[in-house]
Amino acid sequence: MTGKERIIEILSHKVTDKIPWVPFAGIHAGALKGYSAKDVLQDGDRLFEALMEVHRLYQPDGMPVVFDLQVEAEILGCELAWSDDTPPSVKSHICATEANIPCRCLLPKETDGRLPMILDTMKRMKKAVGETTALYGLICGPFTLASHLRGNDLFMDMILDEDYVKDLMSFCTEVSLKMIDLYIGSGMDVIAVVDPLVSQISPNHFTELCHESFATVFAYIRSKGVKSSFFVCGNATRQIEVMCKTKPDGISIDENVDIVMAKRITDSYNITIGGNIPLTTLMLHGTQQDNMKYVLDMIDRISHDNLIIAPGCDMPYAVPFENAIGVQQAIRESEQVRSILANYQTVEETIEIDLPDYSSLTKPFIEVFTLDSESCAACTYMMGAVDAIKAYFGDSIDTIEYKYTEKINIARCKKMGVSNLPSIYINGELKWSSIIPSKDEFIQTIKEKLN
Amino acid sequence: MILQEISYFFKHGQSEKVRELTLRGMAEGVMPSDIVNVLTSYMTELGIKFKNNEIFVPEVLIVARAFNAAIEVLEPIMEPSKVYTRGTVIIGTVEGDLHDIGKNLVKMMLKGNGFHVVDLGVDVKPETFVQAVITHNAQVLAMSALLTTTMIKIKETIDLLVKRGIRQQVYVLIGGAPVTTNYAKEVRADAYARDAGSVSELLIKRGFSKKVL
Repeated sequence: MTGKERIIEILSHKVTDKIPWVPFAGIHAGALKGYSAKDVLQDGDRLFEALMEVHRLYQPDGMPVVFDLQVEAEILGCELAWSDDTPPSVKSHICATEANIPCRCLLPKETDGRLPMILDTMKRMKKAVGETTALYGLICGPFTLASHLRGNDLFMDMILDEDYVKDLMSFCTEVSLKMIDLYIGSGMDVIAVVDPLVSQISPNHFTELCHESFATVFAYIRSKGVKSSFFVCGNATRQIEVMCKTKPDGISIDENVDIVMAKRITDSYNITIGGNIPLTTLMLHGTQQDNMKYVLDMIDRISHDNLIIAPGCDMPYAVPFENAIGVQQAIRESEQVRSILANYQTVEETIEIDLPDYSSLTKPFIEVFTLDSESCAACTYMMGAVDAIKAYFGDSIDTIEYKYTEKINIARCKKMGVSNLPSIYINGELKWSSIIPSKDEFIQTIKEKLN
Repeated sequence: MILQEISYFFKHGQSEKVRELTLRGMAEGVMPSDIVNVLTSYMTELGIKFKNNEIFVPEVLIVARAFNAAIEVLEPIMEPSKVYTRGTVIIGTVEGDLHDIGKNLVKMMLKGNGFHVVDLGVDVKPETFVQAVITHNAQVLAMSALLTTTMIKIKETIDLLVKRGIRQQVYVLIGGAPVTTNYAKEVRADAYARDAGSVSELLIKRGFSKKVL
């Protein structure tokens, strides 16, 4: 089963061979190649390069092309504030001073705003990986778009001027439909309707003022033969049921919602649930082992039908790569990771490990610490880089792989203080963690050691 | 009777009726502090309901609007210390961050619970926070950050308070989606509040009460 088949099948509520994995690497994709958020959200070549790196390192079943909820608002005339390590924010709201409806002449066209760059990147990704990987086109949900246009007053309008909110939602729904056409036309397999603010209104308000918009959007996606997902952020515990009633194929939640409880509801509507690896406490600040453990716990706590494992939302820019690699490994090689974690706890310091006398080596010694280069994609690439260097330098260097799947290697990692995998150590010193060096950089580094 | 009417319309967020009734109450000799008590007691209840996910942003904002309508009538005739009896809070969203819904909700909850709130808005520099604490002789500094990348500004602001020698004079409260209790400990804030509904309760438990001030 390819990743794409896995995603399409799970969103069709059928059985898959493995739990699908969808890393929401938006701006984080840029970090993998040393590009800023602004770089990847404005420059198609950089975005494409970064997305290909996400694909290479994290081996996703499905992946978003752009995670930026401000694209539509920008086209409609809202000013954005840009940052190097977060998506842009809406700075000015075009309906803030007067409760009006923007001109329909502003509805998105393929030549508007950043759409030429985005649509082109979608087509390039489709050609490059679209055969086997499901590509997600993310649109800003109509309610969050309404708040971008109107500002915070939208919340009071919901009580004081319901008719205006209905009209504005109707306009935003039209925007959504246009975006869906453009994204499907560029090859997207899944349309994700991302509406974080839905968690901030009552289920009654959602039903009265938002249901029709979302139901229209999901019916439209369905009519196009494409899968849909409804992304929400924040504590949407009370909103899950009314979200289900709009009939998306899937719902994606963040860590503020208990996924066990939420899955009971989504299961009762036969809707697939996705989530909900904590973004900050775990992916950004946790260790690789914390991330692996969390995923295993999640896998153990819920049934695997109608389930996609994904971060709670757009991954923070600076998530350590090894954490996402750890998540992927825990999903794909659960039993192996389970045994790694168990061994890590039980391995005694008494296992005799003789570290080399690094100060008296006669030639450079490259040690590669991997989860397992046969099953972990990033480890495979890192080991491949080391093999290429070995072929280049021949007997003038020594190389070795230590797989974390073996107890003795766990003990070695503990003794050397190796905390993230995969990693390359040269002469006993950490040189690269998770980042796979280019051949030129690697050769240069070794040459310096040889001198 | 008029207090009951104020209470009724206040709970329904009808700001014009609340304004009218407050003016009528004043004319009829109702003590302004009695009206303030009616308002603040419901704001406390509202905070609890919000915390428990029983009400949501629109319901809070509409009541807050009614609160402001009454306070606009009362403020000119009451000493600020009698309207806002619990102390002064400086509030803002940190530098580089434009999110303000959460910050505004916290502000309204605090005002509704008897705190004098100085709102510095969004994208607030550490220096501006610190200056405001000094200028207003504030008891509490409340900072919000909605982005993982702007959280660092919380620490920078606290570091600046330390550098200026006023860290011990002000209770530092932080919040926002990526912020956690552990982060609060790490940056040496005094507390983390999970949501707007928790803030007043938390501060009152910490001793910011009418008796203290």
